[in-house]
Parts: sequence; structure tokens; C-alpha cells
Amino acid sequence: MSDTTTANTIAQTDSSTWNKGWLRGLENPKYLQHMLLVPVLIFFIVWNVIPLFWLVGLSFYKYVLVTGEPLKFVGLHNFFEIFNSFEIWHALSNTFLFVILGAGTQTFLGVILGFTFWGSKDLPGRRIALTLIFTPMIMAPLATGSFFKLIYDPVFGILNFFIKGVFGVTIDFLGSSAWAFPAVLIVDTWMWTPFMMMMTLAALGSVPKAELEAAEVENLSWYQRLVHVVLPHGKFILMLGILLRTIDSFKSMDIIFTMTRGGPGNATELIGITLYRQAFNAFTMGQASALAIISLLIAISFTSIYLHVLKKKEAAA
Amino acid sequence: MSSRNRKNGYKRSLYHFLLWVISILFFSPIVWMIICSFKTREQIITIPPKWLFIPSFQNYLDLFDMFNFSKELMNSIFMSLSAVMIAVVVSFLAAYSFSRFKPKGTDLIMFMLLSMRMVPAAAVVVPIYLLYAASGWKGTYPGMILFYAMFSIPFSVWILKGFIDGVSERFDETALANGGSRMHIIFKLVMPQVKPGLIAAFIFNIIFVWNEFLFNYIIGGKKTATVPVGLAQGFSAGMAIQWDFIATLTAFYSIPLIIFIFFFQKYLLVGMTFGTVRGEV
Repeated sequence: MSDTTTANTIAQTDSSTWNKGWLRGLENPKYLQHMLLVPVLIFFIVWNVIPLFWLVGLSFYKYVLVTGEPLKFVGLHNFFEIFNSFEIWHALSNTFLFVILGAGTQTFLGVILGFTFWGSKDLPGRRIALTLIFTPMIMAPLATGSFFKLIYDPVFGILNFFIKGVFGVTIDFLGSSAWAFPAVLIVDTWMWTPFMMMMTLAALGSVPKAELEAAEVENLSWYQRLVHVVLPHGKFILMLGILLRTIDSFKSMDIIFTMTRGGPGNATELIGITLYRQAFNAFTMGQASALAIISLLIAISFTSIYLHVLKKKEAAA
Repeated sequence: MSSRNRKNGYKRSLYHFLLWVISILFFSPIVWMIICSFKTREQIITIPPKWLFIPSFQNYLDLFDMFNFSKELMNSIFMSLSAVMIAVVVSFLAAYSFSRFKPKGTDLIMFMLLSMRMVPAAAVVVPIYLLYAASGWKGTYPGMILFYAMFSIPFSVWILKGFIDGVSERFDETALANGGSRMHIIFKLVMPQVKPGLIAAFIFNIIFVWNEFLFNYIIGGKKTATVPVGLAQGFSAGMAIQWDFIATLTAFYSIPLIIFIFFFQKYLLVGMTFGTVRGEV
């Protein structure tokens, strides 16, 4: 009822201000709905649609930016070359390994931490504690990469100081092809475990209190509670979390760019790095465009899955 | 009874202690970085590490003496604020239209917007680079700000549409029936009610632009370089890495973010999930 009153008073006080001149034309919802979209559509067309067409067009051409050679139509050659390139398959398999191991570990640890923090509402200084935990995921990836380079340093890094103290050896984490990949993965895990913990907390928070209390009364075992009470409500948010993490780690770039630039050799080469190298080191724009289109298709399929789960979640709620 | 309470209280303290240990453990790399920022260059690369030393603010003073840094910091602040301001206003209007009128193609555009954000940055930047190089927008402020605004739009539209959907249409209908105009329904009735959404969109886009590196590195120029770009150039300069400078810069640059997370913690969830998940953490 108070909604109505507020709306009434505001409507009466200054309905005259807007209702004159050209603004009157905007009142017709038929036009208004499109007028409101115009600014976003301009952005969308200039920065997304036109570049997309350009990208698709270029992917059929051989186009090397710096040589001054004219564009040469090569049909699907760029795509064939990608499918035949050992380098790209290697980068792709590295990327999938990075995604599966990274997102997997982060989900595992994040769920454990989420359950640990479940019911910590009375923790003294909870807000500060959570700020400490959540900070890694909002730091600039470039900054994170930089100071982990210092931590990992074989000569004066703090980590090697401890390792030397315990095992008596020094590990050149970012400089050896055996260690570089796990080392980068560890930093990624440090950054994103808090995210999965947050999603777990949100998932647990979506379980109705009444059902938890009922489970308490019925004296269900923790396993029964998990399967019959917690999971049915919490699984959607958790799945959305895992999907977002998958998508995000698929596009990881900045961290690796600072820490290893894909090296040593191609030990930490991910698809984003390959794409960057093709476009801005080799300037083979045609091939880079083809690769960009492939990653675009992968991203679109991830998005569809994400929205599918989201719809299911909303249907269940 | 009282002994059981005491036992529970003891357990509870132990549990709280554990939670704090976990929190501090997560933060410890950042603590190390902050400690390093108060050391001299020689102290940073001393092994075994010096645990006790006289902290010095000299690094921070030196940071501001560097001409590039102050300029890059101003760029970071100026570009993130202006880009996000544009994006949030524009997105709010569009989100209102999507939420209330559901024009044809709403689902498709929402889908395309979200996909945009799921694509690896290097794939997005290839055509934009060609576009900017051809049109002369590369390395200009309008070029960078509009690009960042564009990149903040998908996120803002998604967040704001979710929030506007949550405002009952009865508000709009009542106001319309009483002769209120659409414009003031949008700005005076709906806007105040989605303030949390506006804050979340604002904060998280600012964080994004603040942290962004690759786009600026490629389609920006010397004039528009932000702090992360300066940091990356510090690495590739080929000289010995100046760790004191890097520790100080990263510590300083992260302070606003840590403050954000402290004050806007309840928006973190909605912000990290494009507004698709809401709730308590």
C-alpha cells in the first residue's frame, strides 16, 4: 500500500517537468523501449558486431601486418593450419589441463573451506578475516604474478629459503620446464580457491533453515543431510561457480604473461598466450583471427551451458 | 550443565582460532609483499631474509618521484572512473528496457553480451586492435575510455537487469496511472531501489579496469598507460628487476582494492557472478 502512496506523491509533485516538449514522444512505450537501448546498441555494434565481422572476414585471408604484403584470400587454409599445428594442439591440451587441474583443485579446497566457514557467523572480526581471504581474487593478476616471481626466485626467494632449510635443495620454479606448470597452477589456486569457497558459502546459505532444522530433529547422519538436504538446494550455485571458474581459467593470461610468458620452452603455453604471440609478435593476423574465432566458439558454448544451469536454478527456486 | 557449556566454549574458541589461521595463511603472500615494500633493495634480496629491520618509507616516496608512476596512477583513476560512469548509466537504461518491455531479441542480446565476457582477452583484442590502428583511436583517451566502457557494459546490464526484475512492476503501473512520466519512473522510482545493483556494477567494473592490463598494453599508448602496464614494462626493460619498486608499487596499488572488499563485502558474490547469484556469504 505504501508503494502506491510514494508513487502517487512523486507523480504529482513533478509530473509536469518531464511531460513537455520532445520528451513527450518518449512516453510511447513503442519508441521508448528502443530509445533506451540505443546507447548500448551503438557500443555493441561499433565494438562487437563490426569487429566480429572483420574477424570472420580476416580468418579467410593471409594477412601479415608488418610486411606490407597485400591481403591474400586463402579460404579455410588458416583453420587447416591450426588443426595441423603441433604448437596449437600443445597449447590447447595445456589449457585443458590447466582448467581441469586448476578448477578441480580450487573446487575441492573451496568446498572444504566453505563447509569449514559454514556457521562462522559469530566469528570475532569475521569481516576482516573474510577480507583477508578474498583479497587474492581481486588483486591485479599482473601484480600477483610479479610478487610471486619474487617469492619463487631461486636465489633470494622466500619459498626457496624454506625449501632449502627443509630439503636442502633449491628449485628454480619458473625456470625449469618440470616445475613451471605446477608453480603457475599453485598461484592460480591461491587466487581462486577463495572464489569457490564463497560460492560454497552461498550454496549452503541457499539451503532453507527449516529443512536443516528438520534434519536435525530427525537425527539424519551427515551423509544423509548432505545428499537429501544440502545438495538438492545448493548444487546449482555450486555448479555455476564451477562453470565460471572453468571459463575464467580458460582465458587465463595475465598471470602467465608476467610469470613465464608461456615458457620455459612451451611448458606453460596456454591458448591465450599463443593467440597473443600470433597476433602481436608474429603479426600473422589472418591466422590469429581464425584462432580467435575458435576460442569465441568455445566461449559461446560455455556461456550456453552456464545459462542452461542458471535457468534450471531459477526453475527450482 | 555449566561444564558442558565451558567445554563447548572451548571448542568454539578453537574453531574460531582455526578460521583465523586459515585467513591469515591466505593473506601471507601479500603480507610478505608489504614487508618487502618497507625494505631497501639490498634487504629484499638478502638470504636468509632479514626478519628484523628498520622499516623505511623511502620506497613510497621514491614511487611518487617517478614521473611515470604519478601519470600512470592518474590514468588508472581517471579512466576507470569515466569508463565505468558511462557504462553504468547506459546499461541502466538498457536494463530497464530489457526488464520491462522485453523487446524482441532481448534474450539474444543478453546472451551475446555475456559471451563477450567469456572470450579470452587476446581474441577480443585482435579485431579491436586492427580497428583502432586503422581509425587512429589507438592510444587515445576517448578510444581507451570507450573501449573500457564497452567492456563494462555486459556485466552492468546483467547485474542491473537482475535488480530491476526484482522491483515490482506495480510501481511503474501505479505511477503511470497517476500521470507520472516514464522518465521519472526510471530515475526517481526504480533507480533508488536498485542502488545495491548500481553500487555492485560500479565497484566491480572499477576493479576490472583498475586491474586490466592486456588491452591497454595493446591498444593503448604511452599517453594512456595505467599502472599495470607500467609494471609490465618495468619487467621487460631488460635491466635487473627492481624488486623494491615492484613490491612497493603492487602493495600501494592493492590498497584501494582491499578497502573495497572490506566495505563492500556483501556485493562480492553478486559482483563475481554477473548478478546471477545473490545471497549471503
